[in-house]
Amino acid sequence: MTVALRILLAVGMACGVLTPVGCAVAADAKPLNVVFVNPGKTGEVYWDMVAQTMQAAGRKLGVHVEVLTSERNYRTMRELGLGVVARSDKPDVLILSNEESAAVPILEAADAAGVKTLLLSNTLIGEDAARLGPPRRTLKTWLGDITTDLQTAGARMANALIGAARAEKWQSPDGKIHILGIGGDEITPASIARNAGLQLAVAAAPDVVVDRMLFANWTQSEAEQVTANYLSWASRKGIRPAGIWAGNDPMALGALKAIAAAGLAPGQDIQVVGLNWSEDALREIRAGRLLLTDGGHFLLGGWSIVLLRDYADGCDFAASSSHVEVKTSAITRDNLVSVDDLIKTRAFDRIDFARFRAKAGACGRYDFSVDALISSLLVPDGAGD
Amino acid sequence: MTDPDSTGQAAPSRSRPVVRAMIWATVPVLLLVQLLASAGVEVSSFWSQIRQLDARIVRIADSRAELIAEPLWKMRYEQVTSVLNEIMHDETIAAATVYDDTGVAIARVAARPAGQAVTEVSRPINYSNGNMAVQAGRIAIAYSHATLYADTGSRLVLLLVVGLLGTLATVVAMRISANIFIGRPLAVMMSAIQRSKQDGRAYPADIRSSNEFGQLARAFNAMQHTTSGALDRLGHMASHDPLTGLPNRRSLTERLAVERRDTGSSDALVAFCFIDLDDFKGINDTFGHDAGDKFLVCISERLRGAVEAGDWVARLGGDEFVVIRPEVSDEDAAQAFAKRLLDAISEPIRLHDKQVAPRASIGVAVRRADDPELSHLPALADIALYHVKSRAPGTVAVLDEVLQRDYRRRRDLELAIPTGFSERQFEVWYQSQVDLDTQDVVGLEALIRWRHPEHGVIGPGEFLPLIERSGHNARLTRYVLTDACSALQRLAAAGKADIRIAINLPPSELADHSLAAELRETCARFGVPASSLELEITEGSLINNIASASETLQRLRRLGATIALDDFGTGYSSLAHLRRFPLDKVKIDKAFIREIPQSAEDKAIVGVIASLADTLGLTLVAEGIEQAEQAQAMREMGVKFGQGFLYHRPQPIDAVLQRLAGQAVSGKTGTSRLVADSRSIAPEFAA
Repeated sequence: MTVALRILLAVGMACGVLTPVGCAVAADAKPLNVVFVNPGKTGEVYWDMVAQTMQAAGRKLGVHVEVLTSERNYRTMRELGLGVVARSDKPDVLILSNEESAAVPILEAADAAGVKTLLLSNTLIGEDAARLGPPRRTLKTWLGDITTDLQTAGARMANALIGAARAEKWQSPDGKIHILGIGGDEITPASIARNAGLQLAVAAAPDVVVDRMLFANWTQSEAEQVTANYLSWASRKGIRPAGIWAGNDPMALGALKAIAAAGLAPGQDIQVVGLNWSEDALREIRAGRLLLTDGGHFLLGGWSIVLLRDYADGCDFAASSSHVEVKTSAITRDNLVSVDDLIKTRAFDRIDFARFRAKAGACGRYDFSVDALISSLLVPDGAGD
Repeated sequence: MTDPDSTGQAAPSRSRPVVRAMIWATVPVLLLVQLLASAGVEVSSFWSQIRQLDARIVRIADSRAELIAEPLWKMRYEQVTSVLNEIMHDETIAAATVYDDTGVAIARVAARPAGQAVTEVSRPINYSNGNMAVQAGRIAIAYSHATLYADTGSRLVLLLVVGLLGTLATVVAMRISANIFIGRPLAVMMSAIQRSKQDGRAYPADIRSSNEFGQLARAFNAMQHTTSGALDRLGHMASHDPLTGLPNRRSLTERLAVERRDTGSSDALVAFCFIDLDDFKGINDTFGHDAGDKFLVCISERLRGAVEAGDWVARLGGDEFVVIRPEVSDEDAAQAFAKRLLDAISEPIRLHDKQVAPRASIGVAVRRADDPELSHLPALADIALYHVKSRAPGTVAVLDEVLQRDYRRRRDLELAIPTGFSERQFEVWYQSQVDLDTQDVVGLEALIRWRHPEHGVIGPGEFLPLIERSGHNARLTRYVLTDACSALQRLAAAGKADIRIAINLPPSELADHSLAAELRETCARFGVPASSLELEITEGSLINNIASASETLQRLRRLGATIALDDFGTGYSSLAHLRRFPLDKVKIDKAFIREIPQSAEDKAIVGVIASLADTLGLTLVAEGIEQAEQAQAMREMGVKFGQGFLYHRPQPIDAVLQRLAGQAVSGKTGTSRLVADSRSIAPEFAA
């Protein structure tokens, strides 16, 4: 309780100091109850961070965020979601992630129960999308979705790899730059988009060949295995591997281990890119072994609360689009310092979420860029005290 | 089959070789065909399985390649291995290897140690997604046909065993069925044949089946029936004369056995009459064989009519008949019975409108029914018959001690003939033929006698028939011929080369074509001309073989020998013979001389003969001149030469030579009469 009061106090002070408009909104704010059914596992960095940013934003924006973890079990997820929908004291909004399309029944149940829903990170795809149409049509209470533009992320990562390889002239005897792609899987939209980004970038670079697009189930160990296999194969084929594109950071870390095991020096002989802004990745960047980690999409948690706050306050994001797509950003050695500590300490309360709220008359138009983020960060000691 | 002892034993096993042969003929073929067929099927099945296995392995490789393509391409090698591992459940697969596109083995699984002969199938692993299609590597599956070989081998062994068992069953079934359907009927028929052979009766085979053997058995039984009748007829024919219907010689022995057994009292005498028709050959020659047969039938009917119920009549062959009367009181009764038979036979028979009076001779032997010699009755009666035929044809003779003694003497002499030759017991004496006018000796007739060590000197009349019967005629002729040539040699040496020697030729010699050659050779050996030899023949010997005799005579005559017809007047006295045969001389039988000069008839006959000879240019010799009156009569009738005791008795050649020498010394003063020790020796070649 004291924590909540302190947060409210801090937010209020921040609003008062920095954003009178936002504060005005905040001042008008009525309490909002949000339940997030977390598809991930406890300890799973990305989803933990999503929940944490969600909660940090909630504290800033007067939104009560309840996080239920389904521990990567979609049946559990469904039970949790349906349980929420069936509550007598129903939340205002239920945030779901449509991983493996497991959220669809919950969406429908929520619609029947009159509980508003927002899809985060994974929206409806395929048949479900065709059947249910856009938000708020068939499912009246489905407000919309907030997702990251991972395709661009994938392309950005690829381009960074290509650029580094070109600079180092890591062409193989055939004159081409050979890179390995390691995807998480082949079916989830989050994976497909990243991979498509890689393909797009490579398609635009005639001197680059993706030798293989391998899939490692998002895990470090499998990525290490397939990377080792790839490196061995490449050496047999007489290929000089120039870079490894990994769909997330754990897989990038696995690749790094395999590279080291193969007697290569990552960052000097070969470049690796990852995605997620994970702590380990940042450490590797700092060590000069990892070229970059794209991401920041864990902030979707915070951004979703921003959207819902605006929506609750009458500034519906659907005025622009019910599909809110957030661009990710790369952390390299260059900008590492700015976000390193934020991520390392997960001090998401340093983020002034109120600054990101839509301006009046521009509902649905948000700037969630890394630059905006960096500039939104509060000085750790200053504001609170 | 012909050995009754072995066939008796062999009969039950006779069918076995047939069955065995059938089995040997069919079973190997059956087994071979069965084995070949099943082996062929199995081999073709084997090849088909090989092809199926090859195709299956290719399919497995392809399907695995499909499954492996993605993990291989995506370098999930442990997944590749696990997918590969699954195919090892197939036990024919020995090993499988997956190679990536660099040719490195990514995954390898092996079921069993290498070393087994394996076949390898290698298939590409193609990976494709929406954007690309590449060959990610290849899969190689090594698999073994060993299982198939083993399966096929065990199936072949099984087929062999089943085939052998099947063949064994077939053999057993064939054996049993062949024994039932073939062996048993054959055995039944063989048994019927054996029984039939044993007692000569026709036994039927008891087979009731309706198959071929049933038909064969019915045919066999029908044949047995026919054979039975034929055997009966054959038996009758064997024991009966087909012409007359009388029992034949075969029946005689049985009949005698029956007489011995059946005759009630041992005192009873059995009369055995041996009947021989005289001159039956003449009837055949004169009237033909049909008439001869009719004649025989007539005789047989007469004999049947002349006997009583208990008597037994048989024809032994030719003109020989036998009548047995089982009970006669004595020999006289037997002789009377034989006479009655003879009377019955002698009634004239009409043949070709001519009355022919049959003549027969009967030899009778009588023995008691329990006489151990009863079986010899035919021989005993034959002795009597021989006697009556030679002494008094057309009569009856009952065998008595005299006849038996004669018989024994004859038999002894006959047996002694070879010894007689080898020990030169036969002596040739010579009787002169003289010119009735001058009394000069113009020739000698060689006359044979037998100086037997026990029986003394035996005249030719007694032993010549024995010589002829025992087949020693030729030997005797050569014996005489050699002696005569030797005598001629000595005559020539004594300056009497003009004296010829006459030899009697038995009828059989006239048929011997070698005689002329031997005569020439013998003459040459002794250096005497054949013209010094005169050969005397009888009319009887001419008749029997006219052509052959004529030819022999021609040959002899060509050699220079003269031919004389002996004993003219007693036989046929055929004028045709005189004209037809190459004769030089005719000797008038002494029977015509004996009664001269008393008998005017004989004188007339001699006269006719003399005038006939004169007409035909034949020289006449009168035999048996014993009185000067007879010589005188001969001279008067124109007979030029004579021979007889009036002049000289037969003498050994030494005596003859001595006499001739004496005659030469004494000149032509008179007739020296030398008395021979032989009473009457006349050549009697004719029977």
